[in-house]
Amino acid sequence: MQLETSSGGAAPTGSPALRDRLHKAAIALLLLPATARAESTPANQVDFTALYYGEQGRTQVYEPVVRVTRLFGDGQFLSAQLAVDVITGASPSGALPTGTVQTITSASGRLRTVPAGAIPTANFQDRRFALDGDWHRPWGKLFSTTIGVHASRERDYQSLGVNGKITADLLQHSITLTAGGGYSDDSVFPLGGTPIGLSDGTAVSDQKNPKRVSVLLFGVSRVLTRRWMMSLDATRTAERGYLTEPYKVISLMEPFSGVPIAQVTDKRPSTRTRNSALLSSVYHLANDIAYTSYRYYWDTWGIQSSTLDVRYRHRLASDDWYLEPHLRFYRQSAADFFTAGLSSALAPPDFATSDYRLGQLATMTLGTTFGFRLGASPALWTVRAEYIRQAGDSSPPGALGVQRTFDLSPPINTFTMVIGTSFKF
Amino acid sequence: MKRVLRLSLALALPLLAGGCATVRPWDRDLLAEKEMSFNPCPMLHAIDEHVYFSKEASMGGQDASGGGCGCN
Repeated sequence: MQLETSSGGAAPTGSPALRDRLHKAAIALLLLPATARAESTPANQVDFTALYYGEQGRTQVYEPVVRVTRLFGDGQFLSAQLAVDVITGASPSGALPTGTVQTITSASGRLRTVPAGAIPTANFQDRRFALDGDWHRPWGKLFSTTIGVHASRERDYQSLGVNGKITADLLQHSITLTAGGGYSDDSVFPLGGTPIGLSDGTAVSDQKNPKRVSVLLFGVSRVLTRRWMMSLDATRTAERGYLTEPYKVISLMEPFSGVPIAQVTDKRPSTRTRNSALLSSVYHLANDIAYTSYRYYWDTWGIQSSTLDVRYRHRLASDDWYLEPHLRFYRQSAADFFTAGLSSALAPPDFATSDYRLGQLATMTLGTTFGFRLGASPALWTVRAEYIRQAGDSSPPGALGVQRTFDLSPPINTFTMVIGTSFKF
Repeated sequence: MKRVLRLSLALALPLLAGGCATVRPWDRDLLAEKEMSFNPCPMLHAIDEHVYFSKEASMGGQDASGGGCGCN
C-alpha cells in the first residue's frame, strides 16, 4: 500500500517522518471530529479564572469565575458556571464640562481644583452574580447539540435566558455547519426609579422595565488545508423593550456660549436590531498557531463597526508552555441620535444620548498570555496581561461654543489581568 | 437585509466551494491538536466578550446567547 502525501506525491515509506505522521494520524482518527471527541473514561474538569479590570481614574472590576464540567464517556458533557462581578469607581455621566475652573472640597476635607474641561463622572458600585449551565451531546458521528441556560442578577438588572445550537459535520468532517438561537428575558429596575426620557429626571416610576433579546446564529467552517481552517459566522440580535441607560444625562447648553445650564435624562429607541458577520482563520505554522478574525457589525441605531483580532501562539518548551501575543483594533461610528449636548433654545429631539459608548470610538488592545504547567501537576495555568486604550471623537457633533475648545472624549487607559487554571480529576 | 445576504454569500462561497480536495484523515495530525480551534480558550474569550460588550456598542460572534448584563 502506498500512501499519498498532501501534495499528491508518494511518501517516503518507512521513514521516521512517515511513522511519526502515521502515529499522529491514528490519534487524529480517534480524535476527530473535535465536537464529538470521546473521553475513554468519565471525568470532571474544573476551570477557574480571576479578572482584574482597572481603568485609570475610573472603573475597577474584580471578576472570579468558576466552571465545573462533567465529561461523560460518550462525548457528552454537562457544565455549570458561577461568576461574580464586583464593580466600583466612576464613569462619565454624559454631562459636558462646566467650562469654568472649580475648587471643590473632597470627603477628607482637602481642596481640589477641577479644570474647566474636566469630564463629569458619576460614582457607582454594583455586584453581579451570574449562573450558566450547558449540556452538550453528540448524536451519532455527524451531529451534536448544545443547550444552555443563564441567570444573572444585579442591583438594578435581572436576566434569564436560554440558548441552543446544532452542529453538523459534512464531507468527512471538512465542513461544519452550525445553527443556533437564544432568548433572554431581562428586566431593568433602576435605583431610585425609572426616569422619564429627556426630562429633568425628577419624575420617576417604580415599575420594572422589560427587555427581551432574541439571537439567531448561522455558521460555516471549513478545513482548507492540512494547516488551515476558516469559518464564517453571522448573527442577528433583536432587542425590544427598555434600552435606555437610566443614569446617563445630556447637558442643555446655552446656544452661543456652550455653557451647560441644565441637564436632561438619556432616551433611546425601544427597539434595536444588531447584525454581525465574523470571518475567522486558524493557521498552523511549523510549530506555532496564528488566530485571525475580522468582524463587521451594523445595527438599526446607525452604528457600524470593524474589529480585527490577531493572536499568535508561540510554543515554548512543550505544547503546555506558550506565549500568545494579542493585538486587537476596533472602530465604530456614532449612533444616529448621539450628541455631545443639546441647545436649550431648541425643542428636544425624539431620542438623544451623550453616552460616549454610542459615539464615534476606537479601541486598541495590546497584550500577551503566558501558559504553563508546574512540574508534574495536572493543572494548566494561564496568566494574561493586556493594555486597552480607548478614545472617541474629541469634538463630537452638537458641541457648541466653549465646548469646542475641550477634548470631550479623552483617551481612557485600561489595564487588565487574568489568572486562570484548569485541571481534570 | 440585502446587504447581510450579499456579504454572507460573498464570504461563505469561498468557504463552501474552496475546491473539492479533502484533507485526508492521515493528514489531520495538526488539525487534531486541541489548540486548532476557533475558540481554544472559552473562558478567556467569554471575559473578552463581557469587557468589550460593556465598553463598546457592538456584539456578536460565535455565540447564540444575548443580553445577560446591564452594563450596556
